[in-house]
Amino acid sequence: MDYILAAVVVLGAAALGAPVLQTAERRFRIGAYASMAALALAIVMVAANTVNGGISTVPYFGNLLVSDPLGDIFALVVLSVTLAVAVASFYSSPNGPNIPSYYSLLVFSALGMVLLSYSADLLMLFVAWELMSLPTYVLAGFDKKRVQSNEAAAKYAILGALSSAIILYAISLTYGVTGTTQISGVVARLALEPFNPLVSVAILLFVVGFGFKMSIVPFHMWVPDAYEGSPPAIATLFATATKKAGFVAAIRVVLVIATVYALAPNSVFTLANVLAVLAVITMTLGNVAALTQKSMTRLLAYSSIAQAGYILVGFSIFAYSQQTGAFAYNGLLGLTGSIFHVVNHAIMKGAAFLAAMVVLTQLKRGDLGAYNGLAKRMPITAFTLAVSFLALAGVPPLNGFWSKLLLFVSVINTPLAWVAVAAILNSAFSLGYYFWVIKRMYLDPGESTERVKEPLWSVVLFAVLVGLMIGIGLFPQQFISLASSAASSVIP
Amino acid sequence: MNNLADFVILSAMLFGIGVYGLVTKRNALRLLFAVELMINAANLNFVAFNQYLPYAQQANAFGQTFVLFSIALAAAEAAVLLSIVIVAYRLHNDIDVSEMRTLEG
Repeated sequence: MDYILAAVVVLGAAALGAPVLQTAERRFRIGAYASMAALALAIVMVAANTVNGGISTVPYFGNLLVSDPLGDIFALVVLSVTLAVAVASFYSSPNGPNIPSYYSLLVFSALGMVLLSYSADLLMLFVAWELMSLPTYVLAGFDKKRVQSNEAAAKYAILGALSSAIILYAISLTYGVTGTTQISGVVARLALEPFNPLVSVAILLFVVGFGFKMSIVPFHMWVPDAYEGSPPAIATLFATATKKAGFVAAIRVVLVIATVYALAPNSVFTLANVLAVLAVITMTLGNVAALTQKSMTRLLAYSSIAQAGYILVGFSIFAYSQQTGAFAYNGLLGLTGSIFHVVNHAIMKGAAFLAAMVVLTQLKRGDLGAYNGLAKRMPITAFTLAVSFLALAGVPPLNGFWSKLLLFVSVINTPLAWVAVAAILNSAFSLGYYFWVIKRMYLDPGESTERVKEPLWSVVLFAVLVGLMIGIGLFPQQFISLASSAASSVIP
Repeated sequence: MNNLADFVILSAMLFGIGVYGLVTKRNALRLLFAVELMINAANLNFVAFNQYLPYAQQANAFGQTFVLFSIALAAAEAAVLLSIVIVAYRLHNDIDVSEMRTLEG
């Protein structure tokens, strides 16, 4: 537990210190180095916490934080992604106005996501949620002279503020019914409550509020615009870090409450069914919309929405098993698949977004036409993109295959089997646009066959990410057991 | 205004006005007002619930504490949103969000 507090201190010091360090001289990059070092140090500390007794589920720090495997996994994912984003933005745009504040905001957002992963109290959760969100509104609009960047920031910030307000209202209702904001206390109190309309409204509002960040379909409209308009490195952060934070918040609140409280008992309107319907709508609309996109970032944004649908499948079977008392094994398997898919999605989508960012900065074009014949011009980037697309589509033996397999297997043989049918159809359908881009890169002739320079940092990052995709694909057992221990720590 | 239900209904109405404003208005500042209304509806809930809680929790004033946090966070949020609106005004000479349509597809 002390490791987490140490990580929080390191991140906080770097975030506060980075802008101060760089006042005298423009070229002085120590703020960026300090931020990256702090992120790396925080990763080491969280990893140490995982190894040394991260199993304790007793809250500490004034009952605000809990150190469990779920928090460890998500903290590791968001910190690693933020480090990758910091490295990518450091090398792709080393100079410019307000660069120290950029890294400061990045680290503040990472700090918020780490606190969110470990939070055991709704007050901590809300403060961490805002600490994560507010810097990202600014980061989305960081190219303040570019109209698209400002537009992305405006749309994202207004809907983000709306989601915060909805979550706050839901917390207030929960507090009113239970008299506490401690999540374990809320659960203990709700276990005695058969049905209370205020609580059901609060749970639905939680789903809506977290749904904005998770990019679930009725609440997804900001996603493609924000991803396309933001600076490309920040789009990577949105797709792979803040989105994961939405999932961990949903697990910490909605799924934990779902273990004791059914939304509306003895009716079809249960939380499991709501989540299942949202899952199917999300994956279908995401995949259909991705098929018609002309711009790479928008295609990746819609594919990211579709992946959120797959993750929700595990949530819905978990809620179902907890509320009916049947299929307990399937529920745990589904949540394991969800957590594992969140980790995999961060790797796959991170690789795809960074590859798109390299293409955008080197070729100055982001439309799909720029990808024609890319295999000859930028072979390493094209290979990374191809591998990440195959992993996203769930082709064995890459990592995406295993988590999708867990998710789909968990719902078969249960009353939610129709979700598995929809998910498998969607998965097959999504191969269409993934292979379409791979065909463009490897078969279609490009406008030239000249080699384009691929920066060294991108080659190193791509090697790590492709290694992870293939490595986890070949040896998934360790990761599945880690995700499984995280899933079982959810049940109180 | 003497029992809890009055406060909860008032707060639900404030929340509803906020949602209505977000759906119908297109001026960025009005959207900001609407979000602030929703946040204040939640704050009102916290204070009222804290006052009327039948439990021992009433004494620890946790709801009131939560409101102090949320007011500070709402102020930070308003600062960020306003700065984005100012940049939008410099770029467009207008803060109508329906005029922002460079990102479509």
